[in-house]
Amino acid sequence: MSIKHTHEIRDPIHTFIRVSSEERRVIDSPAFQRLRNIHQLATTFLLYPGATHRRFEHSLGVMELASRVFDVVTMKENVLNDDVDRILPQDDHQRHYWRQTVRIAALLHDVGHLPFSHAGEEKLLPEGWDHERLTYNIICSNQIAPLLDNLKLNAPDVARLAVGPKKYKEYAPGNSVFSDWEAILSEIITGDAFGVDRMDYLLRDSHHAGVGYGRFDHHRLIDSLRILPFTRDESLEPALGVDQGGIHGAEALLLARYFMFTQLYFHPVRRIYDIHLLDFLSQWLKGGQFSTKVDKHLEMTDNEVMAAILSAARKPAAAGHDSARRITLREHFRLLYERNPNDVKVNPEAVEAIHAAAQNEFGEQNVRCDVIPAKTKGYQFPVVTHDRRIVSSLDISDTLNKIPPATVGYVFIDPVVREKAHQWLESNRNTIIKEPAGEGDNETATT
Amino acid sequence: MKRLQRDGVVLALIEALRGKGSWCGETHVQKSTYFLQELLQVPLGFDFILYKHGPYSFDLSDALEQMRADRFLTYDPRPYPFGPSLAPDENGELLRRLFAKTRARYQERVDFLADEFASKNVAQLERIGTAMYVTLEDPERTGRDKRAMRIHKLKPHIPLDVARAAVDEFDSLREAVQEFAA
Repeated sequence: MSIKHTHEIRDPIHTFIRVSSEERRVIDSPAFQRLRNIHQLATTFLLYPGATHRRFEHSLGVMELASRVFDVVTMKENVLNDDVDRILPQDDHQRHYWRQTVRIAALLHDVGHLPFSHAGEEKLLPEGWDHERLTYNIICSNQIAPLLDNLKLNAPDVARLAVGPKKYKEYAPGNSVFSDWEAILSEIITGDAFGVDRMDYLLRDSHHAGVGYGRFDHHRLIDSLRILPFTRDESLEPALGVDQGGIHGAEALLLARYFMFTQLYFHPVRRIYDIHLLDFLSQWLKGGQFSTKVDKHLEMTDNEVMAAILSAARKPAAAGHDSARRITLREHFRLLYERNPNDVKVNPEAVEAIHAAAQNEFGEQNVRCDVIPAKTKGYQFPVVTHDRRIVSSLDISDTLNKIPPATVGYVFIDPVVREKAHQWLESNRNTIIKEPAGEGDNETATT
Repeated sequence: MKRLQRDGVVLALIEALRGKGSWCGETHVQKSTYFLQELLQVPLGFDFILYKHGPYSFDLSDALEQMRADRFLTYDPRPYPFGPSLAPDENGELLRRLFAKTRARYQERVDFLADEFASKNVAQLERIGTAMYVTLEDPERTGRDKRAMRIHKLKPHIPLDVARAAVDEFDSLREAVQEFAA
């Protein structure tokens, strides 16, 4: 009987995900198996009961999509000209190496996530640390690097693509510049416009949460992806773009992202649960922070944290009892104020002003604030038209020009003083939301 | 610099570039801000890496998106072959009023940069920006040819002779900044 070298994994989004025996050894490693116990959407299952999916299946999906994109953009008939051909691997060995590197980088891109993913990462890790840095360290550690040797891959190459250029400089300052080819490969995984990380989480989160906003035709979109020299204004730097036939698929992806952020990821109840979770962890963890040591990191999952929350909720003297009780009994803080365009016209920092005034009125312990600034969304990318001109997506898509930035700001209040707080805000709103002070006579510009 | 104060300076730069006739797409703003911060020492606090079309800051890109959300900036559509440019929006006046002192303090440097950069296209900005990046990257790498070779290695689509010209252009600009500062 012959030994099977390719293995199929059933997946609700991509039907089958196929992996080699060597890849399966990486999947079977403790560092990757840990992702079975990290929820993709933190505490979102408290509002959307179906959203119990984990980073494990998301990571498999990202690997699957990464290789599909790699195959499309490196296919000979999809290479537009010599400028693009020059940056591609020039032989089969190199092509195989980079295809495998992209697959494994995509598979491992989330191994550094803390329990409950993003919730409170900035405060729960020492300065200079984030989940990308943990990812980098795990990939280069004894947990993963020897398994990459079996695949004949260089661990730092995998780690570079997994964390991307934005953060890489902080971890490996001596070798921080990405070549054009590495930049394209990294963009395939984590890019603002067409990163497969985003493609998979939109489709998967939408499916599990039971909201339709995240769906788009990813098959059509992936088939239309191209590496294009951005020839406008004579710069020939290559970038990931689309064939004109895929522009509506790209619009659908970027609209899906806008709606998923505004309707699901930034849902105020989801956000306040994250804040209660952060409050709990700050009190429960030794020194108020997670360990950055690889072995300690791998021992900590949502399961350990959730067990501690359930225990603390039952014991009034336990560290973090109040936050644990709010999470388990659904006694979360309620929304008092939400950022809106009219108030922003008067004071762009209206949320912070309301937060400070409410703290003053009701006490710091009864008020919480959450401000999520807008992030780059990658609406601008090259498009090759039917007559082989290369134009900006914003030149040919009115839709992309009009998608507003997604930003939110919330002030939350303890339900015990909720009614009183709403009356107080109604009476004092105009006094609090006034034009900020700017530069007084005593304040000079920083030099 | 606080966020809104910093936004006030970025808005001043965009207004100056537009005033001098720049198309003022995001790439123009990225490269001009890099020079304003690193060469003209305006403390904006953005972190730049060598990435898209030369030095690039993800922080600045996010900040521009937040400025759109706060209605300090908007996209101004321009016909092909020009992409949309960044332009002041309805709340821009608030920043001008609140941070008049800061803007006045840096206005000469902003104007100097706008004079130098407003007429340059993306490819020119990419080359001179990369020339500055490789110069700052290794203070020991002072020779013209070494820097040009480094540019060509990092950005293979920039030919060696064009890279040499970019190094010369950057050195001239640096001298002009030193004279300006004096």
